[in-house]
Amino acid sequence: MEAAQKQATEKPEFSEYDYSNFYYGAGDDPLNLLRPFADWFRDARPSGYYLYSEALGSAPTTHVRVKNGKSGRWQELFNLASYNYLGISYRPEVKKAAAEALEKYGLGASGSPILSGTFDVHEVFAAELARFKDKEACIVFPTGYSANVGFISALMRSGDTILLDQYSHASIVDGAILAKSKTVFFRHNNPLDLERKLANVKGKKLVVVEGVYSMDGDMCALPEILEVTKRHGARMLIDEAHSTFLFGQNGRGVAEHFGLDKEVDFHLGTFSKSLGGQGGFVAGTRDLIDYVNAFARSRFFSCNLSPVLTAGLLAALRIAASEPQLRAKLWSNVAFLRRRFAEEGVDIGKSNSQVMPVMVNNDARVLAVAEKIQDRGLFLNPVTYPAVPKHKSRLRISVSAAHTEEDLEAAVQTIAGVLREEGICR
Amino acid sequence: MSITRYGYRDAISGFFEFPTDNARRILPKGLEPIEPHHGTSVLAITVFDFDESEVGEYGEVVYAVLVSPLVRDGRLPKGAFYPWQVATTTKAAREHAIERWHLPHWMEDVGVEFVREKGRVTAKVTADGAPAMEMTITDHSWQTVSHLYQSFQQDDTGRYLANILFEGEKSEHEEETGRIVLLDNTFNKDVVISEVYETPFRELWMRNGCQLFDPLAKL
Repeated sequence: MEAAQKQATEKPEFSEYDYSNFYYGAGDDPLNLLRPFADWFRDARPSGYYLYSEALGSAPTTHVRVKNGKSGRWQELFNLASYNYLGISYRPEVKKAAAEALEKYGLGASGSPILSGTFDVHEVFAAELARFKDKEACIVFPTGYSANVGFISALMRSGDTILLDQYSHASIVDGAILAKSKTVFFRHNNPLDLERKLANVKGKKLVVVEGVYSMDGDMCALPEILEVTKRHGARMLIDEAHSTFLFGQNGRGVAEHFGLDKEVDFHLGTFSKSLGGQGGFVAGTRDLIDYVNAFARSRFFSCNLSPVLTAGLLAALRIAASEPQLRAKLWSNVAFLRRRFAEEGVDIGKSNSQVMPVMVNNDARVLAVAEKIQDRGLFLNPVTYPAVPKHKSRLRISVSAAHTEEDLEAAVQTIAGVLREEGICR
Repeated sequence: MSITRYGYRDAISGFFEFPTDNARRILPKGLEPIEPHHGTSVLAITVFDFDESEVGEYGEVVYAVLVSPLVRDGRLPKGAFYPWQVATTTKAAREHAIERWHLPHWMEDVGVEFVREKGRVTAKVTADGAPAMEMTITDHSWQTVSHLYQSFQQDDTGRYLANILFEGEKSEHEEETGRIVLLDNTFNKDVVISEVYETPFRELWMRNGCQLFDPLAKL
């Protein structure tokens, strides 16, 4: 029997393949990509991939209604999956502000921000955000993705060099692709490798880091990486998607946490994580924001963020700025979970933030483990290769200030119990 | 023609990041490098310790670029390679591979030494009488597998595809515990050594297994 024929007759397990195997297809027809993926996904979905994109039927509070992707039945689950780190998005003040804006403006912006899509509420929001970030000005984007794509491609050109941490978010990578600059990746959080990669680079250079990395929950080694960046005459962009409103004395982010807020050149953040809303922003000098306004195509050619959402975000921003006790409660919850997971022998990797990966380290079983945990009342997200390295599969937890220690304790016991049953922790 | 079998004691591979500019200089037209990151391709270096073949026992070193596979008719490969330099420890093995598989060859015998330690193996390669490369691969969890890979070849006579089934015990991981040292030797002339990251992002170790080659297909 021929080798390939043998392979065809002995159908491999779905778990031997992943999304990365279906990126390329044969022939001249783009539709050729579809069938191999569909054949595989037919097996993969009921075997665990149903855990992705499950629909919610309630607000993303600490407890949610989730439509089980396998059975189709609604489940009441303790929510460890939604960002909403400060538990603000469903606060009465936020809902009231959004409701009033809906009454005043109707549904959407009905235009690009540079034409007819800018409303008074956008201007107020951008100004208050700039004050919160202690910068001259801010510019708001419809999503965090478009903020990175738009900002990076607005500033960098063909012939320039962009240096990215290897764990950079897809929006940063896509921004670099759109900029047509040479893209060089340095090892995660490794200033020595950045030094090596910067050594022979001429011309305009931009180093991009994230305040907190979304899959491992570890903070940027900012002082060391910034020192190398400056010494080589490069500029730095910090994406504080997972750290704005949380880190630093005033909640401005990881740059403030390290006392380097003024030294970092460009500051970017989002409203979908800590505020539980939507959108992204860049903060900086007036000149910078004027330039980005003119050249960020992802914003220029999109409809502006809805004034309804913007009004809700403005209310959420005011809460985040005026209630530092929310940050204190979040960090108290994080400390509690870290201690309890350590006592139970649950590995949370290198996390030192509110993003906690529960390491399963078994690509073949992570989906079954997640399914078991969901069946016992917890909503959290499995993450497996190629989103993370092979054998580094995990369950990702987002801690919220709205969680209670009682609920977190119950979650720890459920997670540790399942991991013990599966032989993953002691 | 039936399948061709090559049994091996060990086959170790390291996947190393190197610039796509370098990969494109190596690849013929029509083959696309796989990019784990934008602008970064994969240099796959494999060293075999064959203990059973039509031409006896021998060692082999393969320098390849990971490319997009040819997916068709229910055959779903795990991956695909474009080997641009294959070197063997014997003349018989070299002539066999050129004649049977149209593999591009380093035309002199090379030295291949395997140093086996607990949980790791190091392959030391010499070419032109001097050290050329030293690669260490570590193990992780082992499982018995049967995986299909594709190898694309091109020479003056045309373009070819070999379907190759790898069978045996396999360890595969991304712990970044392996290492390569590429030395200043003409053996490495096609890569910019300083731009090859010395730690493999993926390490594969096959042992006590075999490669089963389908008859070569002309493309």
